[in-house]
Amino acid sequence: MRTTLFSVATLAFGALGSSAIAMDCETITLGAAISLTGKYSTDGVHTQKGYEFAIQKIKDDGGVKIGDKCYNFNVVYYDDESKGDRGATLAERLINQDGVQYMLGPYSSGLTTAIAPVTEKYEIPMVEAEGASRSLFNKGYKNLFAVLSTSEQYLASAITLAAEMAKAEGKDPSEVTVAIAVENDPFSLDVRAGVVDDAARFGMKIVIDEKLPRDLSDMTGILTKVKLVKPDVLIVSGHAKGAATAVRQIGEQGVSVPMIAMTHCESADVVGNFGDFAENLLCSTQWSETLTYEDPIFGTASNYHEEFKAANADYADKTVPYQVAQASAAVYVFKDAFERAGSLDKAALRDAIAATDLMTFYGGIKFAPEGNNIAKPMVLRQIQGGEYKVVAPSAFASDKLVWPRP
Amino acid sequence: MNKKFILYAVLLAFSVAAPFLFPNYQTQLATLWLMIIVALTWDMTGGQMGYNSLGNIFFYGTGMYVCAVITIGLYYDVGEWTNASRTEIFTFSDRQYFTGMVLGILGAGLFCAASAYFIGMLTFGLRGPYFAIGTLGVAIAAGEIVSNIEWLGGGQGVSMPIYNGDFDTFKTLIYFEYAILGVGLFVFLNWLYKTRFGAAINAIRDDEEKAEAMGIHTLRYKLVTWAMSAFFVGAAGAISAFQLIHFEPLETAYQTINLGIFMVVCVLLGGKGTLWGPVIGAIMFQVFKETTWNYFLGWQWVALGALIVIVVVFFQDGLMGWLRLKRPEWFGVKVEQKTSEAGA
Repeated sequence: MRTTLFSVATLAFGALGSSAIAMDCETITLGAAISLTGKYSTDGVHTQKGYEFAIQKIKDDGGVKIGDKCYNFNVVYYDDESKGDRGATLAERLINQDGVQYMLGPYSSGLTTAIAPVTEKYEIPMVEAEGASRSLFNKGYKNLFAVLSTSEQYLASAITLAAEMAKAEGKDPSEVTVAIAVENDPFSLDVRAGVVDDAARFGMKIVIDEKLPRDLSDMTGILTKVKLVKPDVLIVSGHAKGAATAVRQIGEQGVSVPMIAMTHCESADVVGNFGDFAENLLCSTQWSETLTYEDPIFGTASNYHEEFKAANADYADKTVPYQVAQASAAVYVFKDAFERAGSLDKAALRDAIAATDLMTFYGGIKFAPEGNNIAKPMVLRQIQGGEYKVVAPSAFASDKLVWPRP
Repeated sequence: MNKKFILYAVLLAFSVAAPFLFPNYQTQLATLWLMIIVALTWDMTGGQMGYNSLGNIFFYGTGMYVCAVITIGLYYDVGEWTNASRTEIFTFSDRQYFTGMVLGILGAGLFCAASAYFIGMLTFGLRGPYFAIGTLGVAIAAGEIVSNIEWLGGGQGVSMPIYNGDFDTFKTLIYFEYAILGVGLFVFLNWLYKTRFGAAINAIRDDEEKAEAMGIHTLRYKLVTWAMSAFFVGAAGAISAFQLIHFEPLETAYQTINLGIFMVVCVLLGGKGTLWGPVIGAIMFQVFKETTWNYFLGWQWVALGALIVIVVVFFQDGLMGWLRLKRPEWFGVKVEQKTSEAGA
């Protein structure tokens, strides 16, 4: 009996103690419409996990300090079902009915494109981490900020690599043939545009230029064509679902192309799901845990990687996708900007975000007047022995490219 | 007559006051008008004429695109506007915006009316389920084709110009555009269904061969009916384009599985072949949808499926049909109860 009483007392004290600490900090409410269902749900969940992890880390670090007060973030989420018009409606609901004054981005360029006009008209600052298409940054939006690099940069470096390999073989880069299979959405179309521009620079010929079907569940037709035409490079882009479909069907159909480059390998966990099929694929990434970036909250990139895995059991045996890391970086931008603005006023906050010049575990963050981040490069990794190894650009490369792909 | 007039006056007054009474729900109210418009127009062919189209969403999507091309094309090159890699920022002055808006909405309506006339020539040879599937095919194909035209932005869709003024004013403007279109449509149909034209399309629904034998040029009536309905859907699509600001081909414009089906569900809920049925159905559906999509998230599609099953199984004639059966006197039908009892 005595021990019970004692433990109740300690519990009560403990609760009081922790609630006293928690009560010191007030709450800043952010809003986000996220694809928790539909074709972007895998990446949507990554994004949400990234947001939540950062919020917890900032809380553990003492919260956001504005003047002599401290605040913790809290996010109101809605599921946009991976549909643009739904996303726009939800953004309005967040602003009008939930009174949200600051927004975190949704997943994908398409959803961001749908939501951005709403946040812009209400002058709600939105820091987004998952919309990379250049079409977002030529509309003159003043309240949209993206922490990631724009999408035309995703796979352009693969073309440069292919040109280097051709030269090493004594061939002219213009002899290289390229096959492209992308989703018909703002992001992948912009990835394609980057590849087409770079291929044109080397005079390479694009021999296949196809769109993946809208539900991203089958590309056997395109792969049959690839087997017949035998291109030197195959480019695939279709978010996590597109990547999973591509790797599975490339493996099943035994498609052999010297270089296969795609996006979203990590978020689709192609190594865990498809093992050998994924070997030697080139994967573009916004961030790699092997890079030497660092900040006071999350520590180094590899520290972030380990801590995130420790906090989220379902990522324990995977490489943490960059979608998670950049979502965390977006929350960090808010913390930094709130502290510099020194107020909760959204106009002051917007100006503070625009003036961001921050080094994070995710890389440098500095926004162009159009809102895109210009302080961070893309890297290209290759899956070698089930591990992601940075192979380009050469300044960051840790390993040599395996080429041709067997 | 007087009673009816008062009812209409009250409803109209409420429609005018609604966006000011519930300023936070303007978008939902605007969407309600959109549902009323698409339900009423669907009923023109589906309920009044007996041709169940699943492809009316074609006119909605086409209205969006035609409107975008007109509005943007008046002042800029459309291909330049939709190019993702352009770095120049295009702007619209107020004058350009409103000129583009008026011409865009009208142009969308007229283009859709014309396209309904021509598509109708191909599809009105089909009857029953074949007509439904045929028109659905048109809508799906159109979405796929448009999503591959780079000039129209391809799969990334189109971003419309943005109104320069205050956002709340913009939403009120959109609400009243829908409301005017909706009231105009209702008044028009209220008149049309009482004319010889209304009787003719009802005759087509009841027995097309007999109607033909009586000297009704059935194909012409069908084409004109569908074209009229397409005019309103196209114009509503154009207003949607302005409302949404950004739209893409497959899930917003030619959204066969959402709005394309919802309009049919609205009519089934309210009652096919009546003037008020689609209106009441649209209101019920919109309330149901907003409730389930907000409070039963994750179960919303299950709830919608259950609703459709219940309506189809228990209320085949919709709410209006059910009421007519239970309360015939409300519809001016006189039932001699005493006599039927005496007879029994």
